[in-house]
Amino acid sequence: MLPSELLAVWKRKGVIWPRYAQLSEDNLRVVQDLIEIYRDHVGEKKSVLNKLTGEIEDVGYDYRFIRGLSYLLDRRCRFRCSDALAAVDLRRKIYQKAAEAGLPTTPEQRQQIIEAVASEVKVNAETVDEFFYADLDTELVLEEFNPLSPVELIQEYNLSLTQTLLFESTEVRFTSSGNWQRLFYSLKRLGLIYEASEDRGFWVKVDGPASLFKLMRRYGTSMAKLLPVIVSNQTWTVEAKILWKYTNEVCDFKIESWKHQALLKKSEPTTQSFDSAVEEDFAARFQALKSEWVLRREPQPVLAGTRVIIPDFSLERDGVTVYVEIVGFWTVEYLLRKIEKLKKVDADMLVLVDKNLACEKLADLGKHARLNVIYYQGKIPLVPILHHLEQAFREVKIKQVTLVKDLPVVFTEPVVSYEEFAARIGVSSEAVKAALGEKPPQDYLLMVNGMVRKDVLEQIHKKMEEQMNQKGKFHLADAVRTIEAEGVENATGALEILGYRVIWHGINSEEAEVVKA
Amino acid sequence: MIHLSFDKGTLLLRGEVGTPYGKWDPRVGCYRIKGLHYRDVLSYFEESGLPYRDEVPNPPPSETLKDNVKLRTYQNEALTRWQHAGNRGTLVLPTAAGKTYIALKAINLLKTQTLIVVPTLDLLDQWRKRVTDCLGVEAGVVGGGDFELRMITVSTYDSAYLQAEVLGNRFMFLVFDEVHHLASQSYMLIGEMYVAPYRMGLTATYERDDQRHAVLPNIVGDLVYAANVEELAGEHLSPYTHEKIYVELTPEEQLLYDDEMRVFSGYLKEKGIVLKSVVDFHRFIMLTGRDKRAREALLARNRALKVALNSEAKLNLLARQLALHRNEKTLVFTLHNDLVYKISRRFLMPAVTYQTPKAERREILENFRTGDYRAIVTSQVLDEGVDVPDASVGFMLSGTGSTREYVQRLGRLLRKVQGKQAKLVEIVSKETMEVRMSRRRIRKTGREA
Repeated sequence: MLPSELLAVWKRKGVIWPRYAQLSEDNLRVVQDLIEIYRDHVGEKKSVLNKLTGEIEDVGYDYRFIRGLSYLLDRRCRFRCSDALAAVDLRRKIYQKAAEAGLPTTPEQRQQIIEAVASEVKVNAETVDEFFYADLDTELVLEEFNPLSPVELIQEYNLSLTQTLLFESTEVRFTSSGNWQRLFYSLKRLGLIYEASEDRGFWVKVDGPASLFKLMRRYGTSMAKLLPVIVSNQTWTVEAKILWKYTNEVCDFKIESWKHQALLKKSEPTTQSFDSAVEEDFAARFQALKSEWVLRREPQPVLAGTRVIIPDFSLERDGVTVYVEIVGFWTVEYLLRKIEKLKKVDADMLVLVDKNLACEKLADLGKHARLNVIYYQGKIPLVPILHHLEQAFREVKIKQVTLVKDLPVVFTEPVVSYEEFAARIGVSSEAVKAALGEKPPQDYLLMVNGMVRKDVLEQIHKKMEEQMNQKGKFHLADAVRTIEAEGVENATGALEILGYRVIWHGINSEEAEVVKA
Repeated sequence: MIHLSFDKGTLLLRGEVGTPYGKWDPRVGCYRIKGLHYRDVLSYFEESGLPYRDEVPNPPPSETLKDNVKLRTYQNEALTRWQHAGNRGTLVLPTAAGKTYIALKAINLLKTQTLIVVPTLDLLDQWRKRVTDCLGVEAGVVGGGDFELRMITVSTYDSAYLQAEVLGNRFMFLVFDEVHHLASQSYMLIGEMYVAPYRMGLTATYERDDQRHAVLPNIVGDLVYAANVEELAGEHLSPYTHEKIYVELTPEEQLLYDDEMRVFSGYLKEKGIVLKSVVDFHRFIMLTGRDKRAREALLARNRALKVALNSEAKLNLLARQLALHRNEKTLVFTLHNDLVYKISRRFLMPAVTYQTPKAERREILENFRTGDYRAIVTSQVLDEGVDVPDASVGFMLSGTGSTREYVQRLGRLLRKVQGKQAKLVEIVSKETMEVRMSRRRIRKTGREA
């Protein structure tokens, strides 16, 4: 984050964007020069550094760019005051002497006082003059400099520049490929308010409580603090409304990972782990079961109205997802609030509650024991979870079967693949198969992977039989031609559905043979 | 049941009812109201006869206050007017007219949790001392690295703004010292996010150049009392004189000044730019962000101004003046820190700038109060508030064109001490743009030198 007077932007037709420093040869060279100035002047006064960096500025670079870089480099320095206490003490002596003698208004009077002080502290007069203001900022001495590469500095500059622009923002909207737990944790800690929504991805709009009343930059600083967490992800998009103070207009700002990733500093992946030992133990034991359920950590947040829940795990199988949330210390009120929030969720969520971590007496726990809350003591039990999973899977399947059965759809295609159809309506292919099995459409015949219109089937069969009788052998290429002639697009798929098998003799399809399976 | 609670600088209203003040907040599914309207919302419920639960206030513990404040007649009148306005409003009084005492008296009358908001750390120290002296309790402090809440707490504007989310419901009375600061775009949120029903603004300089003081009545209350320097000078404030002395730039300075100004005016002429108003100038500053030559012109102008403001001739004149006023307590004001240090080095005069270490700054001010030091040179940090009772001579070597700054600097010299005759000397470089700045700052003070 830079001082606001160093914020360099472009602004046109209501759109604003930072003047990012590109990783061009030219820029890399000047940045290298700056870094070297710092590296080569350890032991020198800050005024010397200021003068040298000022010279680079004069060569024709945007002063805001050079000063911004110097500002960031200053933060990587340790400056030492040659002797702050001595300077303050020395001044006290000088002031006192001058007060006793009366303020000097001629050089001679001044010299007398300086010499009197000099003899008192047993140094010469020049030293007194030199150390008079040795603790001023410009007199500080560069003691240590922590260098970095030119690319890193440019990326840090660009990130800081973006954050400085976000200081002026009234709202921020973003999407990101991960880090959700940390993002929402930061949001809350910074006193911000979010609204989540789904629109080709998971979006979060952020502002603050008082943003309701008017446009204000108050939350800009807090929102800028989210940026490093967001851009550390693989893919992201950040949009903001900037209230530009000089013209009092609201401008749009947008950056996207595919375009800006390389320009911005990525912070180290957080070392802070949100996984507790309990979670780790659960994950390990569940995976050891080698069940058909796939366990995933930190899944995408789940929408609950405009709020979100970020479950600890998701368990997925064939399009069915069950979320798992492990509760730490809790109170009955907390649990009830949690359950209330879960009611708004259009998702199946298991809440695991350790009785040992209750923060109050549990005399009447019974009446709060509800569906989807599993109480346990000590280790998380797998049996009730598996039980729930099975039931969920069954229920979902039944629901899907009914859904497919009730679907007012009239099939006309020559061939229908269960899988494609299932994907189209968003259910599992097993459900489609089961539903069609129970109530097959009149003109179709059910096969293993799909169904075929009866008339088409008859035609194809007839032709194939004919050809087979003629040639004795039946090649794949011929079969494909025959099937395609009946208006079926995916011929090889149809073959399978029709109950044929292909025997390959090499890679040539003319050679491949089709036989009845 | 209606339920009112405090949420990060706003009020949340849960229940089956709205008010004329709130706004439906879809993000949380209930009404949200500005902290400022706390009092209005409560009286709306009272008058409607609606039962409600108020969980807003969370004050620090009460303490028993003493009353060691005696007010002068005009102070009493100011206080009465403020009370009649519903314990809200702004009082405009010249520096040194004892605004602090009016506020302390008001605190004593209300006997409620109070936050005093001040612009600088020096003022924070000063108010804390006054609270102990006049009310007999220790004041809590928020700002400058401290965070301690007490019944009477003093805070800087910065901290009060940044901590509004957590402090907003802790106090029922807000005192804004130098209330003109409150009108700024961001600080005005203090007025909006805090729930305190009682509010008092104090200042010597109500009007702002940017006219934003217009927002104050809404967040503090109306201007209920105003008296200017001329009305109180003599009887309640020290009588003062104002003198302007022109100096000529040294020949080298004159050359430099003319060169730089040629670059500046050359550019303006070439581009046909006319700088008449603040807006014009602002537009020009914006241009310097895009146009390198505009920036060079601006830098040349600034260098020229610096030559005028920091002329050697001023220092020579100051030397003669200091010799003339050896026995007076003296303040020297400049615009830039460079000049502060130059003067400090040349005249071995104690300096106070924002860079002065805190302990040294206290020590210097204390020694000045006791009279051990007879002069201080400072840039802008002492413009506001700091109390130096018997300083009687001020030298203004450089400053901005702002009337506020001028009035504030003058105010440092006016605290009433028997027999004191205050004197403010402005030293201005002849035939430079400083002449116009000087003229600008003295308008509206009711006196022309």
